[in-house]
Amino acid sequence: MGSPPLFYRWSSKIMPWLGILAIIFLSIGLFWGLLIAPTDYKQGDVYRILYVHVPSAILGQSIFMFMAACGLINVVWRAKISGMMLKSAAPIGMSFTLIALVTGSVWGKPTWGTWWVWDARLTSTLILFFIYAALIGLYSSIDDKTKADRAVSILSIVGLAIIPVIKKSVDWWQTLHQPSTFTLTSSPSMSPDMYQPLLLCVIGFYLIFAFTLTLNLRNEVIDRERSKNWVKQIFVN
Amino acid sequence: MLLQGTDLQILTQPLLRFDMKSSVLDWLGIILKRDLIIAFRRSSTYITPLVFFLIVITFFPLALGPQESLLSSLAPGVIWIAALLASLLAVESIFSEDFRDGSLDDFFISLEPSFILVFAKVMIHWLITGLPILIASSLAAIILYLPLESFVPMILSLLLGTSFMSLLGALGAALSLGKSAILSAIIVLPFSIPTLLMGTSVVTFSLNNQDYSGFLMMMGAMLAIGIPLLCLLTVEALLLNYD
Repeated sequence: MGSPPLFYRWSSKIMPWLGILAIIFLSIGLFWGLLIAPTDYKQGDVYRILYVHVPSAILGQSIFMFMAACGLINVVWRAKISGMMLKSAAPIGMSFTLIALVTGSVWGKPTWGTWWVWDARLTSTLILFFIYAALIGLYSSIDDKTKADRAVSILSIVGLAIIPVIKKSVDWWQTLHQPSTFTLTSSPSMSPDMYQPLLLCVIGFYLIFAFTLTLNLRNEVIDRERSKNWVKQIFVN
Repeated sequence: MLLQGTDLQILTQPLLRFDMKSSVLDWLGIILKRDLIIAFRRSSTYITPLVFFLIVITFFPLALGPQESLLSSLAPGVIWIAALLASLLAVESIFSEDFRDGSLDDFFISLEPSFILVFAKVMIHWLITGLPILIASSLAAIILYLPLESFVPMILSLLLGTSFMSLLGALGAALSLGKSAILSAIIVLPFSIPTLLMGTSVVTFSLNNQDYSGFLMMMGAMLAIGIPLLCLLTVEALLLNYD
């Protein structure tokens, strides 16, 4: 799938299936989670935002890992398609991180009483959001797309190296300044009928990511190869 | 332009010789000497970050009020933020001058290791921003009423932290070569957060008489990993401009 025309043909076969699977998983998971799963005895129905919040937080992080892997491949082997993948994944990852931050504060207002707490986990998610912003900002500042891909790849490798350090140092910092009053982890472990729909939602979100990534990537491929013959053949006929 | 005729001869001659016996250290010494002379001739390169640092420090008491207890508790953070911003201020100049007048091309053509070039540039950046800030930080600590016992940890953390900032700054400068200066700041700032957190923690821990050596070790480890990794990535980023 290294060559753009091959990828384009292969992706048009696989994309509808990704979309259908995503719809199936998400509709079952969200229906189950939002309507059928039992109400939490402490938080009430507010907790149900978790079925959107947790998957998007997971996605925000794993998309960054995916991007850094693409960046490494792009820097070491100069594989063009991995650079395009990196570029196409960045806005999706940033959106998921933003969704996680917003749903988190919507959940925090009724539960904790504030929109924002300088908790270690919240802070490192916010920093992740800034790193996404830095990557996208760098990308948009360079006109030559291949060059921009490689510049962003280099920065994403630094991100990969520094994100564990950020997490660790934010943990220390947080324990230094204020005892952690509220954490997600300290709540009693979830009951299976709350956990199972969450699992479906996480899988559904991953599928949504795969679907939108393929969509973005196809656009990117067509955009960059627009002067090539194979693109003309597809669109002229 | 800033070099006079005779200096130019001394400095360019070793660069142009293809002498297989010349060691890496000679090469490092040549670049350091050249850049230090250039920086020394134009005093604004090392005075601007210094003045910027002191002005930012002065702004905090003006904005927050002159209470001694408040200022001394905020001092670690204030000094660290000012140091980060001041070291970012000169990031733009790490490669841009050499890129514009073509010396960078010469460096790459010279077949000498480009890793050493980047390392030398990082050292220069630290010498013209980090070192003055380090010296000025003791003045800042006095005017912010930081207790005398915290001076040593502050200097140590700034020593490690500003060196890491110079490394990060070089990467930011290489990636945003020929672009706006604010871009390199946006690139570098999110990645400098661990340095800021650990640096302020060192000083705050020493204020509370706690053991701060763990943070210093972490900062040292970051520097030790950062020197090879970030220098190599900076070389890669510089080469983007020579495709």
